[in-house]
Amino acid sequence: MGLVLALFCLVSAGLLAWVYVFTKGIIAEQARIKFETSLKEVLPQASAFTMEAESIYRGMDGERLAGYAVSVAPRGYSGKIAILAGVSVEGKIIKIKILEQTETAGLGANVIKPEFLRQFVEKKISDPIEPKKDIQAITGATISSRAVCRGVKEALEKIKP
Amino acid sequence: MSLLKELNRGIIAENPVLRLMIGLCPVLAVSNNAVNALGMSFAVAFVLILSNLVVSLLRKVIPDEIRIPIFIIIISTFVTISDYIMKAYFPALSASLGVFVPLIVVNCIILGRAEAFAYKNPVLSSVMDGIGMSLGFALALVSIGVIRELLGAGSVFGFQLFSQAYAATIMILPPGAFITIGILMAALNKMENKVL
Repeated sequence: MGLVLALFCLVSAGLLAWVYVFTKGIIAEQARIKFETSLKEVLPQASAFTMEAESIYRGMDGERLAGYAVSVAPRGYSGKIAILAGVSVEGKIIKIKILEQTETAGLGANVIKPEFLRQFVEKKISDPIEPKKDIQAITGATISSRAVCRGVKEALEKIKP
Repeated sequence: MSLLKELNRGIIAENPVLRLMIGLCPVLAVSNNAVNALGMSFAVAFVLILSNLVVSLLRKVIPDEIRIPIFIIIISTFVTISDYIMKAYFPALSASLGVFVPLIVVNCIILGRAEAFAYKNPVLSSVMDGIGMSLGFALALVSIGVIRELLGAGSVFGFQLFSQAYAATIMILPPGAFITIGILMAALNKMENKVL
């Protein structure tokens, strides 16, 4: 009986190993394409990106520095909200993109809406970037809105000269 | 003729979700929009049909005493394969279904059909049973997904039909799932009673 069980495990393990090896490269490639598209999206002027430091990417437009893409992950209402922020050389936000979030559907998950994210464009480190001040929070999702604000602030601080 | 019966049974008469009321956990969780519901239905169909096929093929060599662990090995193998395939070829869908793809392992529809049907029946009927149950699961899940997405977000399969401002957010939150399932079950019971 034990032999039968062992045999089943063996076949299963072999099959899984094969599928894993087969899909591994494709999965990694997908993740890379997705991340690169996101970088281009938040920093459209840049054509090439180099990693400058942990979570900071330098975007180049030919020889000229086009800006930075900074990734941050503040804690939201139900987990981390992964944010990618495109920041210009002058230290102003170009575009914000939410890479990953697990906020409540219909409430906190609305942080991905362009209407909300548009508010951060042109913000700089001297701005308050806080709900009720210069950011209109999402109804019913104060914690999620505040988390995004914190993340944007953190991103701006990271590339402060 | 009898094969058709195996196929039909899962769709309405023994619909796994609305009749047998099993596998409700993923139904509640991923039915907040129609695309997720459809994606989940495909993943479940893949696992259910193949596990029914393999269990039925090997039913003579699986010792009775350890059949459940063997079912679980078979099922989890197919679940992991579908998880990898989804990650590789449908990354967006995989991201939005999240943990509920690996959780198909514990979906009681699949283990239930292996134990109650595939282990005791020939291959062809078991595959038919798997297809029928998958169709029933998909029918229930996608109807719930469409209703919840329409009422809760004003869209169907992502196409905005009316502004979200007029939508009832509660429908895409967990209570909306319970409300929708309850009403669908009641409607199905009512329909059945009239026919009888």
